[in-house]
Amino acid sequence: MNLLRRLGAEPVTPRKARTTLILALILIPAAFVVLVPYLWMFTTSLKVRGTTGLPPYLFPNAFEFDNYLKAWLAAPFLRYYLNTTIVAVAIIASRVVLASLAAYAFAFLRFPGRNLLFLLFLGTMMIPFQATIIPSYLIIRDLQWFNTFQALIVPRMVDAFSIFLLRQAFISIPRDYLDAARLDGCSHWQALWKVVVPLNSASVVTMGLFAFLFAWNDYLWPLLVANSEQMRTIQLGLQVFAGRYQTEWTYMMAGTVTATLLPLILFLAAQRSFISGLTRSGLKG
Amino acid sequence: MQVRSAGSHNWFTRLRRSDISTALLFLLPSLVILGVFNFYPIAGVFRLSFFKWDNLSPTKTFIGLDNFIRLFQSERFWNSLKVTAEYTLVVTAVSLFLGLVLAVFLNNRMLLGKSFWRSMFFLPVVTPTVAAAMVWILLFNPGFGLVNVVLRALGLDGLNWLADKTWALPTVMSLGIWRRLGFTLILYLAALQSLSKEYYESAEIDGANALQRFLHITVPLLRSTTIMLVILGVIDSFLVFDQVMVLTRGGPDDATEVIGMFMYLNSFSLFKLGYGAAISVVMFVVVAVFTLMQWRFVGFGSAGEAE
Repeated sequence: MNLLRRLGAEPVTPRKARTTLILALILIPAAFVVLVPYLWMFTTSLKVRGTTGLPPYLFPNAFEFDNYLKAWLAAPFLRYYLNTTIVAVAIIASRVVLASLAAYAFAFLRFPGRNLLFLLFLGTMMIPFQATIIPSYLIIRDLQWFNTFQALIVPRMVDAFSIFLLRQAFISIPRDYLDAARLDGCSHWQALWKVVVPLNSASVVTMGLFAFLFAWNDYLWPLLVANSEQMRTIQLGLQVFAGRYQTEWTYMMAGTVTATLLPLILFLAAQRSFISGLTRSGLKG
Repeated sequence: MQVRSAGSHNWFTRLRRSDISTALLFLLPSLVILGVFNFYPIAGVFRLSFFKWDNLSPTKTFIGLDNFIRLFQSERFWNSLKVTAEYTLVVTAVSLFLGLVLAVFLNNRMLLGKSFWRSMFFLPVVTPTVAAAMVWILLFNPGFGLVNVVLRALGLDGLNWLADKTWALPTVMSLGIWRRLGFTLILYLAALQSLSKEYYESAEIDGANALQRFLHITVPLLRSTTIMLVILGVIDSFLVFDQVMVLTRGGPDDATEVIGMFMYLNSFSLFKLGYGAAISVVMFVVVAVFTLMQWRFVGFGSAGEAE
């Protein structure tokens, strides 16, 4: 609709036609280069076994969906999916609860040392995960948590970035809303879940999306603490599978598509809140 | 209205005296998690860096600064810093440049389907690194990989990319750039959209052409976005690990052994935990310096979490 209106409303001058042509000549090849890995992955995953060295390379002409079945039978991908889903859901749920609570405290409650504590929390953002990985690994070992879900979930239950993101959103809501809720007899707990969080649902969703991607793409930490066949999450499982079937390109790419599709679909479905969350947190801070 | 708000203010001041217990309750879970898995480990890694420990023997031996001295005398450590610096420089610079150029084209008001294009370029950012690395292994396969197929069609010789001491690092970089490009593009595009049209209108009247407008108006106006993207890019690239682990494990020889890989191999393959902790401390210091720079120049909040 928009396209028709725009084409109809503005007369096509030679200059506009030239600009459109230049844009197409630059953007189409650029997007093509960026998308080639996906085309190649998808096409290879559907090829007849043994024909991976032959064209076509980018658009499938065979549709061997059997490859997916074989890949899924050769490695417990269902198990990997299930494990990853459990970890992701647990991390998202706990971050929504714990980060909201902390953000509420920093945004609305008055207590001594508030700013200092907030700075301390923010300070953890300058600690890269790799700098703390040895002691974290030793903690998991001492707790005897190797190859358990809690090893993958508990250290990630909350993070400073989520708290910061929500706190920035919370302080922007009109103070009157909260006052009214409190005057109506709401406790802080009720005010948080009945007023503050619903008013900031977009930010909470953004935070949840980041948490999902984080859990889905996680690799190094599961590699260290949960690398048994039963406990592997999807990216780790994919790597082990690929190591085992390195020469079976069709199965390998079927497995890779399996490990890639969900975040891509989720992003395309929720891209607006995704991109706005990213630009907001990145630009304004 | 005035009266009510004055009244509620008093009411709130009184109420806030009881905020301490609520605040404690609300913050306690986060304090425990961050304490156990952030504050304690960062203190622990500094402590461990003064010890020699193989992870098996019951006692750790205090050796003072020996780990750091050996580290700074190790050629392999300096090599890893050099490799990391090269990776960081190339990936950050190229993804910033391409991201900016593409953002300018995407910002053109005559472009149809802007959000479609934006999504296309952003897809790699949300693609799992390990999965992308699997595709890279095949794309750069010496036999049937697409890159060599294309090169041979052009009459050139293919290469064994990931096994070649000269080309392995650029191959790893290409994956890094591919995954980073969408991120810089999105942030540049958002910044461009917030620029005032007036600058451009007066420039157009002055007869400045597109390139001149880009160089003399757009680039300077985007300065703060560029600073932020450089700092975030440096932090992100400096910590690169997943794609190196999957593609090369640091090889061939140590041609792609970035510092994260160097730390991992020492800590979890050789189990030299004290030495590994010393490398971790170096990584922490570098990242902390750049994070402080970001806070100084850009303000709080990092958009690096999505990776």
